[in-house]
Amino acid sequence: MAAPDELFCWEGDWGLPSISTDCLVVLAYAQFAGAPLKLRKISNPWRSPSGSLPALRTNQKETLSRPSDIIIHLRKQKFNADYDLSAKEGADSLAFISLMEEKLMPALIYAFWIEPKNYVDVTRRWYAEHMPFPLNFFLPGRMQRQQLEKLRLLRGDERLEAGEELEKELYRDAAECMNLLSQRLGSHKFFFGDSPSSLDAYVFGHLAPILKCKLPNGKLQQHLKTLDNLTNFCTNILQLYFPKDGRGEAHNSPRQKPPRRRKQFLSALVALGAMLSYALLTGMVSIQHAHHEALEEPPDLQDIGSHHDHEDEGDG
Amino acid sequence: VCLPACLFVTLTAAEPWPENATLYQPLKGELQYSYLYILLFLMCGLPVQVFCRANAEYMSPSGKIPFIHVGNQVVSELGPIVQFTKAKGHSLSDGLDDVQRAEMKAYMELVNNMLLTAELYIQWCDDSTATEISRPRYSSPYSWPLNKILAYQKQWEVRRKMNAIGWGGKTLEQVYEDVSQCCQALSQRLGTQSYFFNKQPTELDALVFGHLFTILTTRLTSTELAERVKSYSNLLSFCRRVEQTYFEDKSS
Repeated sequence: MAAPDELFCWEGDWGLPSISTDCLVVLAYAQFAGAPLKLRKISNPWRSPSGSLPALRTNQKETLSRPSDIIIHLRKQKFNADYDLSAKEGADSLAFISLMEEKLMPALIYAFWIEPKNYVDVTRRWYAEHMPFPLNFFLPGRMQRQQLEKLRLLRGDERLEAGEELEKELYRDAAECMNLLSQRLGSHKFFFGDSPSSLDAYVFGHLAPILKCKLPNGKLQQHLKTLDNLTNFCTNILQLYFPKDGRGEAHNSPRQKPPRRRKQFLSALVALGAMLSYALLTGMVSIQHAHHEALEEPPDLQDIGSHHDHEDEGDG
Repeated sequence: VCLPACLFVTLTAAEPWPENATLYQPLKGELQYSYLYILLFLMCGLPVQVFCRANAEYMSPSGKIPFIHVGNQVVSELGPIVQFTKAKGHSLSDGLDDVQRAEMKAYMELVNNMLLTAELYIQWCDDSTATEISRPRYSSPYSWPLNKILAYQKQWEVRRKMNAIGWGGKTLEQVYEDVSQCCQALSQRLGTQSYFFNKQPTELDALVFGHLFTILTTRLTSTELAERVKSYSNLLSFCRRVEQTYFEDKSS
C-alpha cells in the first residue's frame, strides 16, 4: 500500500482539531470519507510545502492548497463521502457551499481579523503565542493585512475599514445564511441522509470556530446559539469524529501555566545574569579580591582597608 | 439588525412604480446582465426603459452595473433591486416555503459565485480574450490615452480579485470545468420542469436566464463556453422558452 498523503494544518484550540476554517473542512472530509492521512499539526506556515495552511503533500510530491482541490484529490483516490448523493443533492451541495462562501466567510474574516477588539485580544494573541520566534513578531500583522485586502476585494470596496455599518451588514448576511442552513438542515442529523457528506464538512468548518471560540464581540456566536439544530450538528460531529480534540478543551488552561511560569523564570534569570555580568565588566563589583582577602591572615587587614579606599576613590 | 432594511422598505413603499423607470447599462456588445433585470421587471409586469451610457459604471451608486433609476431613487446590484421591487409590492418568490426559499438563495449564490466569476475570468484574465475583445470594447468610448489607462486598470483590478478569491492559479481549462459543473448543477435542479420552482418563474429563473443568455449571445475568442452551456439541453430549451415568452412580445 502506498504511503499515506501528508496533510499540514494549523494546530487546534478551544476544543477543535484546528483553528482554521479551511483546515477544519479538509480534516472533517477526511474523517467522513475514511481517508488515512498523516497529520502534521504545526503553527508555522513557513514549514508547510506551499507556504500556507492547509497543504496536502501527495505521494507524487504534488502540493495542493485549496480545500476544493484537496477534496477532489481524495475523491479520485476513492475516498468519496458524496458517493450516496443523488444528482439533485450534489447540485444542492454546490449551491449551499457557494452560499457560505459569499455570505458567511466575509463575516468570519471580519469577526476574527478585522474587528479591533477580537483581533487584538484573541486572534493576534493566539498566533503570537503559538508561532515560533521570530515569526510571532511580524507574521500575524501580515496575515491581518492579507485578510483585510481579501475582504476589500470580495466586497469590491477599496476603502473598506472596520466600522459599525460594515459589521452590521456583514453580520446580517451571516445571520441570514445561518438561518437558511438551519432551515435546510431541519431536524436531520446531517444534511443528506444519515451519513455526512462534503457539504457537512464545509458547514462544520465554517460554524465550529464561531461556536467554540470566545470572542469579546461575539454577536455571531450569540446568533448561532439560538439555532439549536446547527449547534447540535457541530457538537455531534466533534463528539463522533474528533473525540480526542474535544477533551483537549479542558486541558488547555493548566497546560498554559507551566510554559508561562517557565518563561518568567527564564527571563528573570537572563535579566539577573545580564545585570551581574555588566557589574563585573565595569568593575562595580569584584569577586576575586574579596575571596583572596578572606583566605589571607588578619594582619593583612590594613592592606584590605587601603585597597578598599583605592577602589572607592576609583569609583567616586 | 434589520433596521436599515426596514427603513428602506417604509420609505419606498409609499409611491407606486412610476412610468418612467429607467435601467442604465454600459454600451451594447459587452457582457452585461441587463437582460436579467429586464426579465425580472417583465415578470413582475413593471414597465422599464433601457438606456445605454458609457459612464454607467461611474453613475451607479456602488460602481456595479446595471442599475435602475426609479422615481427619485437609484438602486444597483441584484439584492437591493429585488428588495426594492418587493417593497413596491411585487415579488416573485412569495409562493415558496422556507426550505425552497433557502434553496433559491443558495442557487442564486452559486450562479453569482461560479458563473459570474468565470465570465470575469474569461473576459479579463485570459490574455487572448482580454487583448482582442475586452480591452478594446471597454476603452472604445474614450480617447487616447485615457482608454489605455482605464482598460489596463480594469484588467489589473479583476486580476487582483481573482487572486484574492483563489482563482488566480486556475487555468482556462479549469474555469471551463467549473462552468460545466455549475451548469450541470442547474440542469439537475431544473430537471424537466418549466421553471426552477413550481410553474411560476422566480428571481432565480431571471438570474439564470440573464447569465446563460449573455454567454450564448456574446462573441468571445472561442466558442468553448457557449458550447459547454449548449451541451445541457434542458437549460437551452429553458432559455428559448423564456425568450419566446417575454422577449418576443417586445420585439413584435
